[in-house]
Amino acid sequence: MKISSNWLKAHLDFDGGAADLSAALLKIGFEVAGVQRLGPQFSGVVVGKVLAKDKHPNADKLAVCVVDDGAQKWNVVCGAPNVAAGQTIAFARIGAVLPGNFKIEGRKLRGVESQGMICSRAELGLPKDNDGIWVLGEGPTLGSDVGSQLGPADDVLEVEITSNRPDCLSHRGLARELAAALGKSLKPLELPREEPTGGTFPVRVEDAAACPYYSARLIEGVKVGPSSDSARRRLEAVGLRPINGVVDVTNLILHDAGQPLHAFDADKLEGGTLIVRRSRAGEKLLALDHKTYDLPEGLLVIADERKVVALAGVMGGTQTAVTESTTRVVLESACFLASEVRRSSQKTHLRSDSSYRFERGVDPAGAAPASARAAALIVETAGGRAGAAAVVGAPTSPNSEIRATAARLNAILGATFSADEINRVLRAIAAEFKAEGDALVFRAPSWRRDLATANDLAEEIGRFLGYERIPYRLGALAPRAATLTPVEKTSRRVRARLAALGYAEACNYDMLSEKTLAAARLPAEGLPRVAKPLSEDWAVMRPTLLPGLLKNAAYNLSRGVDAVRLFEVGKAYSQKDGALVEGWRVAGLLLGPVLDARWQSARAPRAGFADAKAAVEELLAGGALTWAKPGEGAAGRWVCDPLFHPVNALRALLDGAPVATVGWLHPRAARAFDLEREGAVLFEVNLDRLAARPAAAARFNDFSRLPVSRRDLALVLDKARTYAEVEAAVHGCKLAELQGVLLFDVYEGKNIPDGKKSLAVRLTFGRADRTLTDAEVAGFVEKIVAALGARLGAVLRG
Amino acid sequence: MEPTTTRDAWQQACARVESSLRADGVDLIATAASLEDLEGRRVEFLGRSSALTLLLKDLKNLSLEDRRELGPRAQELKASIERKFALRHAALESDADGAALLKDAVDLTLPSLRPPRGRLHPLTTTLHAIADIFQRMGYSWAEGPFAEDERHNFSALNIPDDHPARDSHDTFYLSGLPLLLRTHTSTVQIRAMEAQQPPIRIVCPGRVFRHEQIDATHSAVFHQVEGLVVDERVGFADLKGHLQTFLESLLGQGTKTRFRPSYFPFTEPSTEVDAKCFFCSGAGCASCKHTGWIELLGAGVVNPKVLSNVGWDPEKWSGFAFGIGVERVAMLLHGVPDIRDFYVNDLRFLNQFDEDLV
Repeated sequence: MKISSNWLKAHLDFDGGAADLSAALLKIGFEVAGVQRLGPQFSGVVVGKVLAKDKHPNADKLAVCVVDDGAQKWNVVCGAPNVAAGQTIAFARIGAVLPGNFKIEGRKLRGVESQGMICSRAELGLPKDNDGIWVLGEGPTLGSDVGSQLGPADDVLEVEITSNRPDCLSHRGLARELAAALGKSLKPLELPREEPTGGTFPVRVEDAAACPYYSARLIEGVKVGPSSDSARRRLEAVGLRPINGVVDVTNLILHDAGQPLHAFDADKLEGGTLIVRRSRAGEKLLALDHKTYDLPEGLLVIADERKVVALAGVMGGTQTAVTESTTRVVLESACFLASEVRRSSQKTHLRSDSSYRFERGVDPAGAAPASARAAALIVETAGGRAGAAAVVGAPTSPNSEIRATAARLNAILGATFSADEINRVLRAIAAEFKAEGDALVFRAPSWRRDLATANDLAEEIGRFLGYERIPYRLGALAPRAATLTPVEKTSRRVRARLAALGYAEACNYDMLSEKTLAAARLPAEGLPRVAKPLSEDWAVMRPTLLPGLLKNAAYNLSRGVDAVRLFEVGKAYSQKDGALVEGWRVAGLLLGPVLDARWQSARAPRAGFADAKAAVEELLAGGALTWAKPGEGAAGRWVCDPLFHPVNALRALLDGAPVATVGWLHPRAARAFDLEREGAVLFEVNLDRLAARPAAAARFNDFSRLPVSRRDLALVLDKARTYAEVEAAVHGCKLAELQGVLLFDVYEGKNIPDGKKSLAVRLTFGRADRTLTDAEVAGFVEKIVAALGARLGAVLRG
Repeated sequence: MEPTTTRDAWQQACARVESSLRADGVDLIATAASLEDLEGRRVEFLGRSSALTLLLKDLKNLSLEDRRELGPRAQELKASIERKFALRHAALESDADGAALLKDAVDLTLPSLRPPRGRLHPLTTTLHAIADIFQRMGYSWAEGPFAEDERHNFSALNIPDDHPARDSHDTFYLSGLPLLLRTHTSTVQIRAMEAQQPPIRIVCPGRVFRHEQIDATHSAVFHQVEGLVVDERVGFADLKGHLQTFLESLLGQGTKTRFRPSYFPFTEPSTEVDAKCFFCSGAGCASCKHTGWIELLGAGVVNPKVLSNVGWDPEKWSGFAFGIGVERVAMLLHGVPDIRDFYVNDLRFLNQFDEDLV
């Protein structure tokens, strides 16, 4: 909210500038986001008159003017297109200082002496009104100071008022808060004596719950003109445009006292009664912002006998607005329920200074005095006779009592403020506060509906006496065991392991576009959606992390990063039986050279299925891992399956339960993401299933310290046979001495018959108690070769 | 050669051996030109038939007394000659190697070959850095769902349906479901309190969502670390002690802080905590918007209504809660000017950050 320093000081004696004011406000919880200095920020600028304008001899766009400053005539070069003889202008004499410490000196411009400058508003630091010089109206005396005609300098503070403090949304309200904090008194406010001299305007309230108080005051015989300069300056200081002497008063009172008011042209109200009622189907309001609002049924409105004339507490209509031709005014001052105004404002997307205050809560006791003050001000500005207010209802009941003790308030704060200090603060907020022995009996004033509990009072004590006086306490809370959740424990392990494997961690939004889903071959139907997405790019909750990584890969590839290793830990979403299911996943993507070693070999090895499989094996280490084709048997169908290559993808099962998918990207998806040149390998692991496994410290397994024997076998077998079958056949021999099987070559082509391939495996044998003899090892190998021959038809390569 | 039998003769012979090591003032060992040359001189000076070897043999001809005196001197002479040879041998050998291995020279300026190096996302490291400090202070990690109901996100936290405080929580609602995407991790406080009995000391880190236009300082998805302590006789002073300790752990011992009054519906009294700007030490700079302070935390004493809302007795239990924005801390500590960079996943960005933050 904009607070004018001058206006504030009309309510409170405060010695100090904007910086002091900002500091005082910050200390009690009101941040000042910025300060704007108003008024002249220049000197030596006087009212002058352009007597003559001639062409500049050396420049087409410049003119040479003769300016009279009341005392003397000056030659001035001017480049403004709108300068003309006969204008009254702002003339910066030699020696003047303009904003930005720009000093005016006599100097030659393209060969012609210029003895000063004709100023534009922008050059004077004032809001711009045209592209040329500032043309003053007739009236100001030649030679008089331009600055002094702009009124006194002022600082406008942008104060952030938290939503619990609507009572500070006005100059007097904020002054009252400062006065309480600083132990000062507000300057007294002179309320006009009620001397009704005019008639009344009848009112009917149809919903007293939504509008507990409504007053309408008829002011007759007004002559609407502009407001006084000082009134206009106040309004402009808080960013409002002056409209006319009546409307301006309602705005002045809103910003002075915090009570929203509205003025109707009584002659445009049809039927002679103001009615507070609910809107009916099909009703519209052409509001003061010149937009037409279709009102949904049931909003609280002000109406005459024929039409809606205002959306209660939000905005009035143009049809019944006070204009220059208005002679009879109806002044509304009312209490509307915060929730009603909030609903109206939300349904119509219409916000105003009035709705902002009503939504947060307006002092119910403020409506009557505001009406009296406004009426007196209108009469003062526009003449006329004010009648008595027609009043329906009464301001709501007083706030309830809070009982506390100094000890209780100190306990909430952990402080040791004295009873005297505490009493002083509470009395500054509520004059009728009493201390009855140890008991503090506090009833908040009508404008402080936020004060209802002992904690609320403790905050007041802390704010006014200073949070810095509350000690830093560490000893009161004993050490405690601190644990991680299973998911966090697991995801830390997963992150560390993938980083060790060379993957950089990515971080994507949880929402995706339908387009991205389609590119990834994933159906959007049945997925949870955001009701009002920021854009179509973020409309659907992601069912898997993989499309995000694919987008990241495409992005990096298009920017010249050609080796991509990314992983992400995050949530995936689905819907089941009308309920949302969210679960933790870890996904990874590999693309491009495995090692950045291009200068060693022209075509460095590219990331392939085995690389991605390694990551999954690393993540699932420690359990019984088996593999199956996605969609078959225990592997089940997963939402991410269509994204994978239909043949070259596998599901990992941990202790028999599916837990991860790994494979090549489906070629169609690769094309859709512009990744077809490299292709990408991907994996996604269900992190929740990993986390659900009991975590245990690694167990030591004893191993033989004796030398081992190694034997290499080159096998030739049918191409359709898999390596897994070879390994199974070797292990099928159940040799206790077999310590390891290592595949070290896969070969097809020259010297191998068609339809066959060669696999070379290294077998390692050993015992824990003694070394093996050559004969023993030969026996083992013989047994294994026989098994491979019998089970797979494999023969040793000649 | 005749065996030396007298003490004087032996000593003269010894002096002759010493002087024979030099010729015209030049050290014959140190100037041997090649390994072959050196070997020749070794045979000459230390060989079986060298003067020194004979001299050592002749020691036996001397009296026991002389042997005791002259024996060690002779041994020392021999050892010193051996040392000289070893020194020269090493020098000649390394010269020879240098010459021989020159042909094996490779271009040592070729780019290094490095295995791919993974890194954690700067938001992860920042979040962990923050949460881990609290862990060391006895806060357990707590989590909750991202898709939440109104109760956990708002009403249980004393943010009623029609309250303007909701305006600052622009919310994503999910279509056709009675759910929203949580706007803060305070939801986890409610869930944790519903699931257990006091006392409690938790830190709730995680992802939150706001329906805001995205720009350099606003992201619709971001991360928070919130914390909650409920125990007997907890007050604002405990909040100050814990948060001061946290900020000193994060930013360095002696970090100056400022606790300003503020407002949150779920805490009362409430505060915002600023740290003295760690870029300009409070002198005023762009990072602190020329205020000298950087706002880091929102916090407060748990509003008793929140305790009542989960069925905990506010007369017996009290506590404090706080929240900190992870992106904001990461941007400040790493000097990242645009929040959107965290979510683009450009590897040229991600590879700039190491695992450790503090």
